[in-house]
Amino acid sequence: MDSTTAPHRIPPEMPQYGEENHIFELMQNMLEQLLIHQPEDPIPFMIQHLHKDNDNVPRIVILGPPASGKTTIAMWLCKHLNSSLLTLENLVLNEFSFTATKARRLYLQRKTIPSVLLVQLIQERLAEEDCIKRGWILDGIPETREQALRIQTLGITPRHVIVLSAPDTVLIERNLGKRIDPQTGEIYHTTFDWPPESEIQNRLMVPEDISELETAQKLLEYHRNIIRVIPSYPKILKVISADQPCVDVFYQALTYVQSNHRTNAPFTPRVLLLGPVGSGKSLQAALLAQKYRLVNVCCGQLLKEAVADRTTFGELVRPFFEKEMAVPDSLLMKVLSQRLNQQDCIQKGWVLHGVPRDLDQAHLLNSLGYNPNRVFFLNVPFDSIMERLTLRRIDPVTGERYHLMYKPPPTMEIQARLLQNPKDAEEQVKLKVDLFYRNSADLEQLYGSAITVNGDQDPYTVFEYIESGIINPLPKKIP
Amino acid sequence: METSNRELQAAEYLERHRIKELVSYLTSALLFFRPKPREYLISLLERLRIAKVTGVAFPFFMDNSNIVAMFEMMDSSGRGTISFVQYKEALKTLGLCTEDGDLKDDGHIITLDKFKEEVNKRMKEI
Repeated sequence: MDSTTAPHRIPPEMPQYGEENHIFELMQNMLEQLLIHQPEDPIPFMIQHLHKDNDNVPRIVILGPPASGKTTIAMWLCKHLNSSLLTLENLVLNEFSFTATKARRLYLQRKTIPSVLLVQLIQERLAEEDCIKRGWILDGIPETREQALRIQTLGITPRHVIVLSAPDTVLIERNLGKRIDPQTGEIYHTTFDWPPESEIQNRLMVPEDISELETAQKLLEYHRNIIRVIPSYPKILKVISADQPCVDVFYQALTYVQSNHRTNAPFTPRVLLLGPVGSGKSLQAALLAQKYRLVNVCCGQLLKEAVADRTTFGELVRPFFEKEMAVPDSLLMKVLSQRLNQQDCIQKGWVLHGVPRDLDQAHLLNSLGYNPNRVFFLNVPFDSIMERLTLRRIDPVTGERYHLMYKPPPTMEIQARLLQNPKDAEEQVKLKVDLFYRNSADLEQLYGSAITVNGDQDPYTVFEYIESGIINPLPKKIP
Repeated sequence: METSNRELQAAEYLERHRIKELVSYLTSALLFFRPKPREYLISLLERLRIAKVTGVAFPFFMDNSNIVAMFEMMDSSGRGTISFVQYKEALKTLGLCTEDGDLKDDGHIITLDKFKEEVNKRMKEI
């Protein structure tokens, strides 16, 4: 009854369903919450957790030295992701909380509040509806290791932690130009981030404590504390350099928080490689098949094998080969399904290349149920393609394949007898490349979550890009 | 690396409430029926909760036909009985008995009815 005596034949719909609906992550999150809170009655707790449906809301912490632009980035992210922003100021100024009134007195006196109180405030705030439904962004909290540990003991874990960093001198200078808009609370800068509207310009105030000495003191304190906070968030931390224009920092932060972390979910790659002839699809497919033990399915190869083996399908395909016409889609799909339905393809996953060539073939593939879960477009400029293909030669005596630029033949004798495949002639290549580009726009639209890779680099670099595309979860697109 | 106190506590919590079996059951149901995940999970859990409260025997992991099928798989000669060792192994596979061995070995043979009865009795205890 176990899988060692008789292999389990799991129908492929099950892993496909699991991947599409992220079942593994769903269960993992539920289990995590169960273990953190350990309720006495697990079932009502699980029902409540499922109703909340907040596994994917943003839970972000932004840390950084003074004048690094934390608050600006935090506010922009809030607006973009539609979450709630939590800073020391707005926690303390919360009018609906009893703890906040206590904290306010201390804050007005000393500009900081004890960690215990702060963490209590955070806990209260995070239990409110809007934080649960739309996520939260903590700006500048936790500042010390003590705060970080207290937050952790309450079971509050962020999913992404961003630390901004810049050289101290830059920060001290930058802080001198800081201006605050008293109405909206937004921070502007005299040089880098000047508001366009003149009414805002007139309102701007100079905040206190931005002199060089004070900034330097604050920086010292920051450096002392941050070094102990960073190890608390090992895998979810990212350091972004704040020494670049605001929009660049924001763009990097946004891409990071929208990416999911790698999970332990079981994943059988079903990869589709698309690109014009000569873009390196076969080579990448062979490398992938070798490293990850996927099944390399090349459409053209399959057809040739069928003809050579004289199978039933082979006999049907042969007349098309002899007349040098394209094989009709229906026959092609039959040959493909035969290969992809075999047990080794279902279990190990596959790399497909050479098909689909146009929208109809793609739709046929989908209807047969072979949905790839990673699609890659290999982009190579036309000149590179010409260079790669038209200089291919073959030695008729040994059968060795050479390339006049990348792998030249060793002796003049061999070079004299090299032959070129008529399919590699310039006009033929041009025709095939044009054919691909005519259909590529449709295909790109169909495979919305495809990843474009620059194919014009050396093969191992391209391979690494493709690998990272397969291994990392697909980034979420903002609706 | 020694298991810390919290880790042991967490493992003990999982054991006490039989969370692993529950999650395994939920995931198998999801993969088999392939419905919309959240609504289906919520409905399953609601049914479980009500079953616990009212004491009604909910077809938790297996229902009658599954028990019969399991029995027939083990009873290869078709005599209508299984050996005590098989019976114990079956209960362990179902997660209904631990290594305690609190089953009495009464006359070596277990019939289908006894098997069914024992499985249902243990299901109710969960």
